[in-house]
Amino acid sequence: MARATLSDRGRRLEQVINPYALYALLALGGVGLWIALPKKGFNPQILGGLLAAIALGGLMVALGVRAGEQRPGFFFYVFSLIALGAGLRMISHPVPVYAALYFILTILSSAGLYLLLSAEFMAFALIIVYAGAILITYLFVIMLATQPPSPGQDEALTRYDRTAREPGMAVLVGFLLLGVLTTMLSGGVSHLGEPIAVAGGDAALASLPGKVERELRRAGLADPGDRVAVSDSGRQMIDPAARTAVLEDAGGGQRTVALPEDVHQSNIEGVGFELLGAHPGAIEMAGIILLMAMLGAVVLARKHAELDEAAKLDEARRLDVQGVGP
Amino acid sequence: MIGAVLAQAGFPEPMDALTLNHYLFVSAVMLVIGLIGFVTRRNLIIMFLCTELMFQASALALVAFGRFHLNYTGQTFVIFVLTIAAAEAAMVLALVVYLYRRSHSLDGSIWSEMRG
Repeated sequence: MARATLSDRGRRLEQVINPYALYALLALGGVGLWIALPKKGFNPQILGGLLAAIALGGLMVALGVRAGEQRPGFFFYVFSLIALGAGLRMISHPVPVYAALYFILTILSSAGLYLLLSAEFMAFALIIVYAGAILITYLFVIMLATQPPSPGQDEALTRYDRTAREPGMAVLVGFLLLGVLTTMLSGGVSHLGEPIAVAGGDAALASLPGKVERELRRAGLADPGDRVAVSDSGRQMIDPAARTAVLEDAGGGQRTVALPEDVHQSNIEGVGFELLGAHPGAIEMAGIILLMAMLGAVVLARKHAELDEAAKLDEARRLDVQGVGP
Repeated sequence: MIGAVLAQAGFPEPMDALTLNHYLFVSAVMLVIGLIGFVTRRNLIIMFLCTELMFQASALALVAFGRFHLNYTGQTFVIFVLTIAAAEAAMVLALVVYLYRRSHSLDGSIWSEMRG
């Protein structure tokens, strides 16, 4: 493969977005984010948010204009604008509870993007695991570890929530990184070439006799007593590449039928076979990691009861009096 | 609504590199937002929320690449990313509760010198 020269790379970036427009919009977004971050004294967060929103919208429009035929659908722009806007608000909101709620909004719109990428299983797993479990734990801890407001105030905002740490430097470095990332990304991704057609797109069907029987019955191609035949070597006789299956009726007679057009392996079947077929060891390790994390969390968050010997005896005596001791 | 979105997706069709670029672009912006948040915010809980945002960005890139190459490897890896994120959240939140009990503050910078 020929190496891309610098001018070549610039041309590829222009294919997606005009580089000067990209860098100008990134700078505008950076300034907006810098204004929006919580600071001491005069803090026009609305102005900063407006600038960042203009930059974000401009980026999306610029991306859409150049892409032409390859433009992703309308929903892509809706979901990504919500995701990025909520992300910006999450890091600029001074109240931790609201930041966590904005993060849930980001998760929900990321799940929408997964749906657009036809990863339905991951979309719903994301909502259940993140929005349902992890973020609820975060909210519990925020409520556990926040001082109650004193009588005169509505919200008790601590000093460290009201001021950001070195916002100017962080925004500058972060947006420099973003500029480099987007430049590299537009130059590098073109080297990927044509997408590889998946070998036998419905390969998992060969291991799904129940589904094949059900679909054939639904299409009226199989009688209720028919089963997918099993070959001498113990394999189900389904050929996903040729889209045929061999059926065996109650009397033992075999016949070959073509699978209907609309029978495909679904997303969750594909993910499941890939996960359990290609990475069985990794699943076990993930389980062990989760178990260790649970044990570690219990050990860390446990409250130490500091009792000397006399206090222990007193406690034992007290429990004895109440009739629950030994 | 979901039906309309799914009908638009059309999985067996290959995806163009330019469309992939759009998703990678969103992923890059999300990663940098998480990075800036992690560096600037001083509240321990929000700092770790920002790491979750960076996990999200990488997961989006993985799913987009999986869609581009028409295989399930990216989505499979996202399952492990979710697992690690859950384990990390459990550990971190326990740590936050412990640190809050010691100092009655969620300020990250008071722990910068690791003085008990």
